[in-house]
Amino acid sequence: MKSLLVGAVAAYLIAAIHSILAFVNKRAALQRVAEWSLAAGFVVHTITLIEDWTLDGHYPLFNLKETLSFLAWALVAVYGLVLYKYRAQAIGVFMMPLISVLTCVALVIQTEPNDAPTAFSSTWLFPIHTTLLIFAYAAFFVVFMASVMYLLQERELKLKTFSAIFHRLPSLATVNELATTAAALGLTLLTLGIASGMLWSSARDGRIWHNDPKEIFAVLTWLLYLLLIVYRSTAGWRGRRAAWIGVAGFGLVLCTFFGARLLGGYHVFG
Amino acid sequence: MSIVLVGINHKTAPVEVRELLAFSDQACTEGLPRLVDGEVVREGLIVSTCNRVEILSAITTEQIDSGTQRLAEFLDTTPNLPHGFLTDHLYSHRDEEAIRHIFRVASSLDSMVVGEPQVLGQVRHAYSLAVEAGTAGRVLNRLVHHTFHVAKRVRSETGIASSAVSISYMAVELGKKIFDSLKGRVVLLIGAGEMAELSARHLVNAGATRVVIANRTPEAAQRLAQEFDGVAVPFEQLSQSLAEADVVICSTGAPDYVLTEEIMRSAKEQKRNRPTCVIDISVPRNVDPAVGKVPNVFVFDIDDLESVISSNIREREREAERAELIVQSEVMQFQQSLRAMDIGPTIGALRQKLQQVARLEMERQRKRLGSLTAEQEAAIEALLLSTVNKISHPVLNQMRRSYELSDSETVQALRDIFGLEE
Repeated sequence: MKSLLVGAVAAYLIAAIHSILAFVNKRAALQRVAEWSLAAGFVVHTITLIEDWTLDGHYPLFNLKETLSFLAWALVAVYGLVLYKYRAQAIGVFMMPLISVLTCVALVIQTEPNDAPTAFSSTWLFPIHTTLLIFAYAAFFVVFMASVMYLLQERELKLKTFSAIFHRLPSLATVNELATTAAALGLTLLTLGIASGMLWSSARDGRIWHNDPKEIFAVLTWLLYLLLIVYRSTAGWRGRRAAWIGVAGFGLVLCTFFGARLLGGYHVFG
Repeated sequence: MSIVLVGINHKTAPVEVRELLAFSDQACTEGLPRLVDGEVVREGLIVSTCNRVEILSAITTEQIDSGTQRLAEFLDTTPNLPHGFLTDHLYSHRDEEAIRHIFRVASSLDSMVVGEPQVLGQVRHAYSLAVEAGTAGRVLNRLVHHTFHVAKRVRSETGIASSAVSISYMAVELGKKIFDSLKGRVVLLIGAGEMAELSARHLVNAGATRVVIANRTPEAAQRLAQEFDGVAVPFEQLSQSLAEADVVICSTGAPDYVLTEEIMRSAKEQKRNRPTCVIDISVPRNVDPAVGKVPNVFVFDIDDLESVISSNIREREREAERAELIVQSEVMQFQQSLRAMDIGPTIGALRQKLQQVARLEMERQRKRLGSLTAEQEAAIEALLLSTVNKISHPVLNQMRRSYELSDSETVQALRDIFGLEE
């Protein structure tokens, strides 16, 4: 299964390189290579995950190695949707290298054998909780990317100096809509993810809230994106400010994701 | 067969010369049969645009000099021109150079404004005239189709035509950057100048659905409204019109600001902060630069547009360098396919090879035959050669037929069978 993951990494690397070249040279042919390569990597990656699941006996989303691999997989899936819906290839220039790095790290790091995952896998709520949240993170990453692209272009339009990157990014309307859709999707996933976590926790020890850093950050993230959505729907298009929230929100997402590991608490297992 | 191109363009001849030489469609279809005699000049077509007059032709290689001369004379004897008038302006290119030249022309690399889209259509038109006149044959058919292929590649693989290089088209480019598509967008013209009209025309062609015109003199507004199937509104209702507009083009002759930050802010409130693109092409400026401070409003004055255009031109030039590389590789490819197309050398080589075999065999066996009279010797040689020729005749015929039908696979197969290299 390790060799399979190597295949996926190779495919992602090819995709990353080609999408960067396509971005710089504006070549549609290179972009096609990138997309096919990404699709091939995704298929191989999916097989790896399924194989891990059946061989290890637990849902392949528990320790850091698995989490990174799963996150990369989710990012590919989300990027596929973005491509399908918006043809916003420019996002791939940043997303594909990240995906490659995540899978590379997942490939390299070692994790000690641990019995905990099997115990957690006995209930189906736990994997649902983690899967939903991973996809929420992936969606928030898209919000972040789209927001950065928005801010870059908005700035150049206001200053009236257009750099080379300006001609290569999708239009303001596209990145704005992308950010809004991705934020709505991410918030839905986050809500469901938190709810399923609470259900799982109450079934486990009767408490739905442990005051642990990850939970607190998650709720803050949830509030911020809720604010973003409400803001956008009531105040109409609010390009710049909404974009800044999209950027700040991703900072909180990172805190939620890594914070627990650094600060400890209930959400540290194994 | 050689490819020769003779002509003048905007770099070698001033407009006074070019306009005298220009060929009408009728002049092309009448002139071409005179030019193409089937002996020296085998095929020909005339590209005539406001920036160039060029003859592209296929000429028998052995008579390339007299053929080129003939093309130059043909241009020089155009009725409008005094004799010898063109000599200083004419250029002529052969084979590789001629192929590269026509590729560059059709890809708009040789145009006055690099990347302008019309020239490909003009080459296409020139070709259809030649087809009509019956002067486009095997070589030109292939060359012209390859030319279209190159132009298409250049257009799709480089950004040579992707950015606007005229003020009136900038509105479309900026609109697309902000709104993604101009479909369903509302255009507001403040002032009814010629430039505003041209910009609006581009925007409507790009999909804008509604044009609103606010002008101090209602007559001019009415006229434009009729033209664009839009509405004329009184100048006093500017704020309301502004609220529904996506792209605003301002070109009044007013001496001071017509559009102020205050008006814009009040319009924005009604608009729920949807973005607006304001283009001010008037001098002195009619849009207060402070309008640009309003969120989601993007203001461009004439200087901004000029500087974007000059950066777009630089971008086109960079892209043109990449286009030249594509042209270069396509020229090589075409030459290769052209060599494969030319059947004469193949047939000659095959005939020679077979006769060589006959002569060698004769030499080898000659001793065993003892002494022969000259007559006998000649008879044996004739016997051998005519046997070889009789056997090869249907093969060569087949080769010629396949060649006429452009069946290069069969030609290649026959070549391979007889072990002929390039």
